[in-house]
Amino acid sequence: MGYYLPLTNPVLETVDVNVTLSGLHILKDVSIGVPRGSVTGLIGPNGAGKTTVFNVMSGFLRPDSGEVRVEGRRLRHIAPQRLTRLGIARTLQGVGLFPSLTALENVMLGATVRVRSGIVADALALPWTDARQRQLRDQARAVMEEFAVLDVADRRPGELPYPIQKRVALARALVSDPRILLLDEPAGGISAGDMADLGGLIKSWAPDRTVLLVEHHMELVMDVCDFIWVLDAGSVIAAGTPEQVRSDPAVLAAYLGEEAH
Amino acid sequence: MGSFVDFFLGGVANGAVIALMALALVLVWRSTRVVNFAQVGQAMFTTFVGLSVLQLTGSWFVALAVAVIAGALLGLIVHVLVMRPVRRADSSGAIIATFGVLIALQSLAAMIWGGEPRSYPTPVEYVGLEIFGRVFPITPYDILVLVVTALLVAALAILLTKTKLGLSMRAAAFNPEVARLSGVRVSRMLAVGWVIAGMVGAVAGVLVAPTSTLSPNSFDIFLVFAFTAAVIGGLDSLVGAVAFGIGTGLVLSLVTGYSDASNAAIVALVLLGLNLWFKPDGVFSHHKARSV
Repeated sequence: MGYYLPLTNPVLETVDVNVTLSGLHILKDVSIGVPRGSVTGLIGPNGAGKTTVFNVMSGFLRPDSGEVRVEGRRLRHIAPQRLTRLGIARTLQGVGLFPSLTALENVMLGATVRVRSGIVADALALPWTDARQRQLRDQARAVMEEFAVLDVADRRPGELPYPIQKRVALARALVSDPRILLLDEPAGGISAGDMADLGGLIKSWAPDRTVLLVEHHMELVMDVCDFIWVLDAGSVIAAGTPEQVRSDPAVLAAYLGEEAH
Repeated sequence: MGSFVDFFLGGVANGAVIALMALALVLVWRSTRVVNFAQVGQAMFTTFVGLSVLQLTGSWFVALAVAVIAGALLGLIVHVLVMRPVRRADSSGAIIATFGVLIALQSLAAMIWGGEPRSYPTPVEYVGLEIFGRVFPITPYDILVLVVTALLVAALAILLTKTKLGLSMRAAAFNPEVARLSGVRVSRMLAVGWVIAGMVGAVAGVLVAPTSTLSPNSFDIFLVFAFTAAVIGGLDSLVGAVAFGIGTGLVLSLVTGYSDASNAAIVALVLLGLNLWFKPDGVFSHHKARSV
């Protein structure tokens, strides 16, 4: 049994999750919970297993043992394409945009789950597919306006500055109206000014949405998070409020240890 | 020796069929990121199915409809039985597997229908149009082929760019993992890509059969021409496939007219080589970098 801290009302949790890849024990009895309506951080030195936790939560990796629960219910055989239907959206390290689609189409893709349509109706371009397409487009444009990227709607990601691409990627995650957001290093590669904006944005989503944040920028994590889990070498080593984590000897040792290398 | 106008008109008509086959290649590429070298084999097989139905019913259009349905089914079968398992193991193996499918389909067709060349009738006349007493080398059938090509391109363009299905197909092909996170059922989209390409290939097969003969290997040369057109067009561009399909038809017609028919395939390969040397992304491609 690994480090365990019982939380009341976690909306998303992993329970005793173990993952072994190529003979390496990547996650060891990882049990973490994300309190409803919170912004929760998942931090740790490089190679700690943070993204692996995200991959387990989003169905890209099946754990050797342990389980993932949403609203207390165990998810069996999570498939990534079912996440949005469960009200969960995930962003990827980098931006993960489709270079051949315009910014608008990239965001529309995130909204497809909210618009019902059929393969045959679409293939035959039946009249009501037009209305659905318009609905999809309107939803995407509304979220793009919120993220101040509507003016680049018809441009392809390769033509856009990196911080704008990041915002488009966030818009795509938000357009499905998720109740849980998994953000994987959203501040990577953006300036201090953009990071402050991002922090404000993330804080504004709670408590309507629950956010689990993997991030290396400690300033951002300490600023926006209500609760933080710390991983090191595949195990949970600490958990608590930003103040508690900041002064936790195990956390200091993990980070100082990393710096010493 | 005929005039330039004659070669030009003949080239446009031949090019329309090349364009259709190139479209099928582009569709599979766009939806699965695999160059389907079995496309001509699938088209040949479904054209044989069409011919059997034609002999049974006597209706050219019923035969076309059955061939299209057979194309959809064959596309699905190839995807489920061959491409899906192969892609799980190794993505580059998928392209090699399409050669295997091509050889298997040609062998199967030879076993079922024999290796003798067959003729495939046309639904409308296949003699040059006479205008003001001059006979042009473009027939009512060529015009039918051009119209069908134009309609198919328009329908496919609408499907891929104006519908949720098209958006999901494009996303699934490019980055399956990110597409899945957006709720796209990637496996289903790949299957839809193979089905639609199979249908377009079937139309191409039935339309090209009357202009040559039908035998298990008779469409092989169209693979060279269609592949050339699709690659020069940018491989992911429907417009590019059509433009360079017709362009390839034109060039081949001029080469055949002014030199010898046996030079046509060589010229196609030279064009392909020049394209890969000077503009490997293709003329209509949105992307940089495509490995060759």
